Amino acid sequence: MSKNKKIRTVQASYKTRAVLHKITPTRLVSVFLLALGLIALAFSIIYTSSILAFIGLGLTFWGTVTLYIASEKYVKQTLLNSIIIPSLSNLNQILTELGYQGKAVYLPPKYLKDPETSKVYIPKNKNTKLPTPEEIQQKEDKTFLKNPEASLITPPGTSLSKLLEQTLGTSFTKVKLENLQKNLSKLFIEDLEIAEDLEIQTKPTEVAQKVADSISIIQLKNDTIQVKITNSIYDGVCKEARTLTHICGSIGCPICSAIACAIAKASGKPVTIEKTESTEDGKVIEAYYRIIEE
Amino acid sequence: MNFPLSFWDISLWLAVTAIILLITSELISPYYGKTNILINKKRLNHTALAMGILFLITVAIRIYGIITSL
Repeated sequence: MSKNKKIRTVQASYKTRAVLHKITPTRLVSVFLLALGLIALAFSIIYTSSILAFIGLGLTFWGTVTLYIASEKYVKQTLLNSIIIPSLSNLNQILTELGYQGKAVYLPPKYLKDPETSKVYIPKNKNTKLPTPEEIQQKEDKTFLKNPEASLITPPGTSLSKLLEQTLGTSFTKVKLENLQKNLSKLFIEDLEIAEDLEIQTKPTEVAQKVADSISIIQLKNDTIQVKITNSIYDGVCKEARTLTHICGSIGCPICSAIACAIAKASGKPVTIEKTESTEDGKVIEAYYRIIEE
Repeated sequence: MNFPLSFWDISLWLAVTAIILLITSELISPYYGKTNILINKKRLNHTALAMGILFLITVAIRIYGIITSL
């Protein structure tokens, strides 16, 4: 047998396996129902029987419906945790070994050359001032920056954030911060079924502004956003990530990170994850985001 | 050799099916648990709505027939 023939035989066997793999019991039952329904319909016409017609209609309909609605693929939730945790753990270890102490800042599109991407800026030292958009744009393709020392990495929730944008049909840069609550809730609960419930609240903080020596005005600023996620599919990840100091409360787990990317894009301002709290079982996650005024 | 069901039989069948599907699509949980049949809730909802619209079309045809026969 020539080499080409062998390759063709192997390819044919792969194709047969792929076709057999697609035939699931559900699909088989659906096709059987459909075929039976069509036969019943044909007999109803031949024998002019309304009972056979109803049976045929019902079987054809349910056969088609089950074929149509049962075609989505799902993976087990445990697979999700085992894939995500090692990469988060690695990122945490790298940042710990390099001695990074600063809080991660999610950059808005004006800091980046491509407005559709998301980057997180982690300064090495605490209280380091965020560089200007022009300065970051010049060094955007580097991971570790100097003067001041910092790292510029792709956040763990960037792909999830892009998936949210794809499902929404628009970029978060075009969504107003006020509308983000409604859009995110719909995306998380109805469209992607990531969580059972998602609540977003803007918490005003009091800022005292001195007008004169003896007079000061107390101004309310809507710069803190509280997000409460109930029963998310990432609860296992969040539970595991609690021990990772740079992830939980700074860069955030994929779900908190994706929300931070969305807020940064919608507000057009840098965003930090102030703190994240979760229940023992990880079912309820509360994340507090702060929009940094430049 | 004629199809034994009349237009109104089909209309009634559409109504019953649409109600069953609409109720199912609204009551179905997004959390499937351990099951071998995985249902795409959105597609089920679309099918239910399509059946409902088809039934409403048959109703509209009936109303049009009543009005024109007056």
